[in-house]
Amino acid sequence: MTIPHDRPQDRPSARPRAFRLDPTDRSEGMGAALLGSGVLLEPQLDPYAREAALVALPPDEAAIEEAQALGMKRKSRRGWGTVFGAALGGLVSLSLWLWVDHLVGDLFARTPALGWFGLGLLGLLGLAALVLLVREWVGVLRQAKVARLHADLAAARLADDRDAARRLVAEVSALYAARPETARGRADIAQSSREIVDGRDLIDIAESTLLRPLDRAVASDIAAAAKRVSLVTAISPRAVFDLLFVAAQIVWLIRRIAERYSGRPGLLGFLKLARSVGAHLAVTGGMAVGDSLVQQVVGHGIAAKLSARLGEGVLNGMLTTRVGLSAMAVCRPMPFGVERQPGVKDVAPFLFKSEG
Amino acid sequence: MSLLTDLAFEARVTARSVADYVTGNGLRLGVTGLSRAGKTVFITALVQALTTRGARLPVFRASAEGRITRGFLQPQPDDAVPRFAVEDHLAALTIERRWPESTRRISELRITIDYERRAGWRPGPASLTLDIVDYPGEWLLDLPLLGKTYAQWSEETLEASAAAARAPLAAEWRGYTAMLGADPASTEDTTRRCAELFTQYLRASRADLYALSTLPPGRFLMPGDLEGSPMLTFAPLPGAASARPGSLAATMERRYESYKAHVVKPFFRDHFARLDRQIVLVDALSALNSGPAAVRDLQNAMTDVLQAYRAGRSNLLSTLFRPRIDRILFAATKADHLHHTSHDRLEAILRLLVARAIAKAEDVGAGIDVIALAAVRATREAAVKHGRETLDAIVGTPLPGEIIDGESFDGLGEAAIFPGDLPRDPKVALRGDGLALAEGDNDYRFVRFRPPLPETTPEGAALLPHIRLDRALQFLLGDKLA
Repeated sequence: MTIPHDRPQDRPSARPRAFRLDPTDRSEGMGAALLGSGVLLEPQLDPYAREAALVALPPDEAAIEEAQALGMKRKSRRGWGTVFGAALGGLVSLSLWLWVDHLVGDLFARTPALGWFGLGLLGLLGLAALVLLVREWVGVLRQAKVARLHADLAAARLADDRDAARRLVAEVSALYAARPETARGRADIAQSSREIVDGRDLIDIAESTLLRPLDRAVASDIAAAAKRVSLVTAISPRAVFDLLFVAAQIVWLIRRIAERYSGRPGLLGFLKLARSVGAHLAVTGGMAVGDSLVQQVVGHGIAAKLSARLGEGVLNGMLTTRVGLSAMAVCRPMPFGVERQPGVKDVAPFLFKSEG
Repeated sequence: MSLLTDLAFEARVTARSVADYVTGNGLRLGVTGLSRAGKTVFITALVQALTTRGARLPVFRASAEGRITRGFLQPQPDDAVPRFAVEDHLAALTIERRWPESTRRISELRITIDYERRAGWRPGPASLTLDIVDYPGEWLLDLPLLGKTYAQWSEETLEASAAAARAPLAAEWRGYTAMLGADPASTEDTTRRCAELFTQYLRASRADLYALSTLPPGRFLMPGDLEGSPMLTFAPLPGAASARPGSLAATMERRYESYKAHVVKPFFRDHFARLDRQIVLVDALSALNSGPAAVRDLQNAMTDVLQAYRAGRSNLLSTLFRPRIDRILFAATKADHLHHTSHDRLEAILRLLVARAIAKAEDVGAGIDVIALAAVRATREAAVKHGRETLDAIVGTPLPGEIIDGESFDGLGEAAIFPGDLPRDPKVALRGDGLALAEGDNDYRFVRFRPPLPETTPEGAALLPHIRLDRALQFLLGDKLA
């Protein structure tokens, strides 16, 4: 559990030694001191500060977890708003029920056959509603599970906890059990889990075998959406069209990314997810100033000189890419470890090239 | 009668844990360690770290996130027990630059930590009360006696004293016992003489040179207030199983039993039965200095002592009725006496020493961690280049009288020490019969250092450097301060 060695200790065993330090010893540069008989003493950096830094979460990861906690893991709060909503919903359902009751009664009054038909439709409606409800529920739970897995894996990776890593990696692998194309990766992971592998290494192996192909697919989704958005913005006749188009593309993109990483989020799950994506954008917005805002301004400037529409297109494309990257970060069931978290330039390089 | 007191005791424990559960802010930390393991220094450093503003604890989350508003000492709950003299120990460490004297009696301390909860269903300010007990480590050796009769104990002690490592130390006492013949009659003179010689043997074995650990009964080494009491005048005798009334063995047995009933049991009951977290401090370095026989002896002592604790995962029922230790941290103390590149090997040795305790605790679901720790860090690290050779050394002021590599020190000048490499395979450290090895006969030699020159905070409080004290705190208290 200590930090890795700086140097392999394979040298032949050396005898214990002592070297006296005299306050009068000559000092060499960098705090090194020359002792008698040609012995040089060089101070070493404090290793414990480095070790402490290893134990703390990196800021990128902390931002992702915070964003996930704000949306996907958020528990519904019991406040007056909830009471209001529940009461209103109850009243509306009651009135609906009254109407349906009336309707079916009327149908029976006209012809019993029609009444039975209506009743049948009502049953189907109820069944469909139930299925939809269950699907919504599963979607929300799945998002919460992804967020939990992400945080636990990050903690296990930090602590190099082998037992936790085995358990969590098995869970991640189970997440993709229904996808035939991951069969090879899952088999590899099951194999490594049985072997003696450190916790951190096991998590890294799982990340590179299971998630790398998904990451690639997601990156190409983001790129495709960004391309479409910048193209449509550049040629759309009215501003309102491209606004609608960008919004639709962003919704599609977030759902698509969630589907790729875990499964369909459903409507409620999507809302929670969108909240997390928004939180992540807000949290990382400040961090990215140095990275991409400059690029955005520069890119926009050059493109705008060519054409105002083209410049807007690039800007919208970049916005879509940023949203896509945030969605990628919060939807991913594992933290970025061996894989580097991609930036705008990695997934959509064409936004910077096209105008040149 | 004994059953009744036991029942009453259990009832009291239950009542207190229910009260704790309701108020939800008490934590009893058990600091376990044989004598010279560094309990007093650890407690002092812990108090200093928790009560000083500006203490550097990057791994201790609550402190690193700035959620601890203050920590302060409070009057302890138990008026019958002296208070832990943290100010005296701190003054010894920082002003006189010497290690605190060995603990002679039990003492107690209560710290309250005010903090802000980060999340959960009750965010906002909260406080945690931490109770810590300090006691002479020798007394811990008595815990295994609770489960042994006089005859069993006699047999084991005699057997151990006949082993190659101990036989020369025990020669005089064993000779006297043999001279008494089979089944001697009881006279106060013989009893006292037996006990005296036995105590001498125990004292000799504990000396730095030998650094043996399995030496019950503990009060013989550190009598506390019981000096000269008849309860402390007994010794093991051969053939104690069938003692006839009036014989020496019968007297001894009676005293052994009253020692258990009046000394060991109350001590254990009052201070160890109800713990929530435990840190086990082990000074492996003195034993390593002495030789493999001393290391094996340390292993036996730790295994025996740790059998006595209740460990296990807490659930609601156990929290209320039978409190258990749900996290145990095993710490190899004095980690500043070797370079950080050797810490992995030190941890491996410690893991081996307490392997049975770890297995038992993991079996019942308690959380376990093993670290190399220095509550007060007395050295810094440096590379010594000598010709083509580079050695990872530590620099500090060795204590007066320490000897290494033919040099002896006066306690004033600094020196760079390369203590040698610990074995890659921890089992090697336990192999062999060496004891009290001379300085040149061992592959490693750990020199003891004087406490460091302390830094001070802007407010003028002393700041003690440490190694992984923050990690220990995070493991022991982190979840309570979430």
